[in-house]
Amino acid sequence: MVLELQKPRPVWQIMFSTHHTDVGYLYTVTSLAFLFMGGVLALLIRTHLFFPGQGFIISDSVTFNRIFTVHGTTMLFLFALPFAAGIGNYLVPIMVRYKDMAYPKLNAVAFWMVPVGGALVWLGFSDTTWVAYAPYSVIRAPGPAADMWIFGLKILGVSSILSSINFIVTILKCKHPDLPLRRVPLFAWSMLTVSLMTVVAMPTFAAALVMMLTDRLGVSGFFNPSVGGDPIAYLHLFWFTFHPEVYIFLLPAIGMMYEIIPRFSRKPLFSQGSGVFAFVMLGLIGFASWGHHMYSTGMDFTTKTVFMIGTLAAVPASGMHVFNFLATMWGARIRFDAPMKFMVGGIALFFSAGAGGVLNTAMPLDFITHGTYWVVGHMHLFLTGTIAFGFVGMMYYIFPLFTGRMYSEKWASVQFILMMWGTVQVFFTQHILGLEGMARRIYDYPAEFTSWTQLNQIASVGAWILGASFVIFLAQLIYYSAKGKEANMNDPFNLGGKYYYPYQAKTPHHTGY
Amino acid sequence: MSHSEQDAPILRTSTGRLGKMLIIIIGIQIVGGALFFTHYDFWNSYLPIAGKLQEQGEAKSAGQGTATGKEVDVPLKFVESPDFKNYGFNAPVGQTGANPEVDVTVGDKIVFDVTNGGKSFHAFAVTDSKTGPGPAIEGTTIGTADNPMKPGAEGKITFVPAKAGEYYYICAVPGHRELGMEGKIEVREAGSSSSTASSTATVAPTGNKVEFSLSFVMSTDFKDYAFNALTGQPGHNPDITVKSGDTVTIHVKNDSKSFHSFGVVTDPEDPNSVVWNAAYKSADNPMKPGETGDVTFVAGAPGTYHYICTVPGHADLGMNGKFIVQ
Repeated sequence: MVLELQKPRPVWQIMFSTHHTDVGYLYTVTSLAFLFMGGVLALLIRTHLFFPGQGFIISDSVTFNRIFTVHGTTMLFLFALPFAAGIGNYLVPIMVRYKDMAYPKLNAVAFWMVPVGGALVWLGFSDTTWVAYAPYSVIRAPGPAADMWIFGLKILGVSSILSSINFIVTILKCKHPDLPLRRVPLFAWSMLTVSLMTVVAMPTFAAALVMMLTDRLGVSGFFNPSVGGDPIAYLHLFWFTFHPEVYIFLLPAIGMMYEIIPRFSRKPLFSQGSGVFAFVMLGLIGFASWGHHMYSTGMDFTTKTVFMIGTLAAVPASGMHVFNFLATMWGARIRFDAPMKFMVGGIALFFSAGAGGVLNTAMPLDFITHGTYWVVGHMHLFLTGTIAFGFVGMMYYIFPLFTGRMYSEKWASVQFILMMWGTVQVFFTQHILGLEGMARRIYDYPAEFTSWTQLNQIASVGAWILGASFVIFLAQLIYYSAKGKEANMNDPFNLGGKYYYPYQAKTPHHTGY
Repeated sequence: MSHSEQDAPILRTSTGRLGKMLIIIIGIQIVGGALFFTHYDFWNSYLPIAGKLQEQGEAKSAGQGTATGKEVDVPLKFVESPDFKNYGFNAPVGQTGANPEVDVTVGDKIVFDVTNGGKSFHAFAVTDSKTGPGPAIEGTTIGTADNPMKPGAEGKITFVPAKAGEYYYICAVPGHRELGMEGKIEVREAGSSSSTASSTATVAPTGNKVEFSLSFVMSTDFKDYAFNALTGQPGHNPDITVKSGDTVTIHVKNDSKSFHSFGVVTDPEDPNSVVWNAAYKSADNPMKPGETGDVTFVAGAPGTYHYICTVPGHADLGMNGKFIVQ
C-alpha cells in the first residue's frame, strides 16, 4: 500500500527501500525517464529523414546508426521491461495478497542493475543496431562502445532474470492459501507467464553475448566468419531469446487491459479461464516461431514451414484475448476515462499490428517485406500501438495510487487523441514505405523517389504529433503529481462501488469475478 | 494497515519532493551527458581485437618482397595549398609535379625520402587499398595517424613490391588521401616486358600472318576448365608462339555448356589487363555455347603473355594458356 504518512520520508529512504511499492515506484520513474530520452532520439531520426540529403541534424551515418541503436535498446530494455516490472512490483503482491515480494532485497538489486546497464548503453552509444548482428558487431563495431553495450545488456538481462524469479516465487509460493491459482487476477497471470518465459529465453541471449564478447577479444570465433565461425548461429541464439521477448513485452500490456477494462466497464470479466489459457498458450507458442525473423537466411523449405505454422499458432490465442475484452465491454456501462480510452485504442491498434504480423509470417510476403520499413512499421505499431498504449493507460490508472492526486482528464484526452493520431500516421505510413522498397536503417534516400519523400514527410509529421502527445504526458505527470487535486482514494475514477483495485487490496473485492 | 480509515488525505508527492526527484534524474542526465559528449570520439575509438587480427592477416598477405632489381629513389614532400583545400605530394593536387607516378617492376627497391613540407601533421604509408587511409603494407609507414610527422620532419623507408599490381603511397591521416595526398605505384611482373607502355603499345605490322584455333572445353562435372582439351589430355592449353609484329588471327569456339569470352592478357589474375585489343566478347556479353568467332590483332612487344577466358574465375579454373611473343 502507499506508505506515505502525514510526515513524508526523505527521498533517500525511498531510493534505498526494499518495499515492493518503493521499488515499483523507482522502476516506473526510471523507465519513464528512459522513455522520454529514447523518444528524443526517435524524433531526431524522423526529423532527419524529413528531407532527403540533409545533414544538419545528424551529420554523418555513423551517428545515425548510433542513434537508432540506442533508441531501440532503450525503448525495449530500459522502458518496456522495467515499466512492466515496476507495475508488477506494485500490483502483484497486492493481487496475491502477500505483504511484499518474495525476496525484497533481490528485488532492489534487480532494480539497481537497470540504471547501471542503462548508463553503459547510453555512455557508449554503440552503433551495432539493437540486434547487434555478427559479423559487424564482432569484427568491426568500434570499442569501447560495443563492449559497453554488451556488458549493459548482460546486466539488464541478469536484472530481468532476477526479477522474474522473484515474480514466479511470489505468485506461486507466496499467494494467499485461500486464493486458488486460477483465481489470481489476470495481470498477475501475465507477469507469471512472462517471468517463466524470461527464465527460459534469456540465458540463450546471455550466452550469445558472452560468445560475442570473446569473439571480439579474438580468443574465439563462434560468429566470426574469417576464422570459420557462423554468423547465422548468432541469429538463431538471438531470436530464440527475442521472439519470446516480443511476448514478454506484450503480455504485461494485455494484463493491464485485463485489469482496467472490467473495472471501467463496471462488469465482471467475461472469462477468466480463457484469459489464463491464452496467456499460457502464447507463452508456449512464443518459443515456436523465432525462425520467422530469418526466412531470408537460406533455411530449407520444411524448416520455414514449421516456423510459419508456429507463428500463425499465436493468432488464435491473441484472438481469445481480444474477444475476451470485447465480450467484457459488450452491453456494459463503460466509463471512458483516460485509462479506458488508452485500452480501447490499444485493442484497435493491437488488431492492426497483429494483422500485419500474419502477413509477415507468410513466407512469400516476408521476402518482399524483409528488411524494409514495413518491418519497422509493424514492430513499432506493436510497441507503440499496443504496449505503450497499455502502459500509458496503466500509468493514468495507477497515478492516484502513486501520488494520491488526480491527473487532468481534459489533458489526458488531448494526449490520447494526439497519440492515436500520431501512431497511426507514423507507423501505417511506414508500412507503405516498406512496400515501396525503402530499406530500414538507411541514413539517406534519393530525392528522385518523390513518393518516398512524401511518405517520409507524412511519417515525420506524425512523429512530431506523437512527440507532442508525450510532451503533454510528461508535463502532466510532473505538474499534477505536485499540484493535482486530491484523489478520493476509495473510488478515484468515480466508478461507483469498490472498484479501485490497488487501494482496496486488503479487503479483497475481486471475488465478484 | 489500511489507510482508508484515516480521515486526512495521504499525499505521496509534494512540490518539494517532486523537485528533489527531478533534480536527481536531471542531474544524472547532465553528468552522464557531460561524460558522453566530452569523450565523444573515445567511445568509438578502436576496432575490436578480432578486427585488428583480421587486418594484420590482410596486411601480411600484401607484405614486402625481396629486393632483386634496381634501386629507385623517390623524394617526396607533403604540401598543402594555402587555403588547405588541396593537399598533395611535392605540389598540391592539380598542379604540375603533384603526386609523381612511380613505375617499377617486381623486386625493385623503392626508397621513399619523405619530408613534411606542409603546415599540418601527416603520416606516410604505402598501401594496396584503393580507398581510405590503409591498411599499410608492413614496414612502409613513417608516423601514424595517432603519432604523425610534425611539420619539417623527415623520414626514409624502403618498399620492395612482392607482386605486380597497383599500389599507392598516401598520407595515412584519415581524410588527407581524399584531399589529394595519393600517388600511384605501378608494379609490373619482372618476367614480362619491361614496361606496360611498350607491352600494351601496338607495333607496326610486319605483314606476316599466322592463324590459330582455340576452343573452350569443360569437364562434365564443371570442375575443370581448359582450352582445346581437359587437363592431362594431349593438346591441353597449347603454348602459342608468334613473332612481334605478326598479324595473329585466332578462331575461337565455345565447345562447352557455359558462357565464355576470350582475351590475351599480361596478368592472368586480372581479366581486365587485355593487350592490343586482343579480346573476343567480354564477361558481360560472353559467347554462348556453340558460338564461334574470330579475333585478329597485331602482336606487340616481345614477352610472355597469357590467353585466358576473361569471365572472372574461369582462368583460375584452368582456362589459361601461354602466349609467347618473340
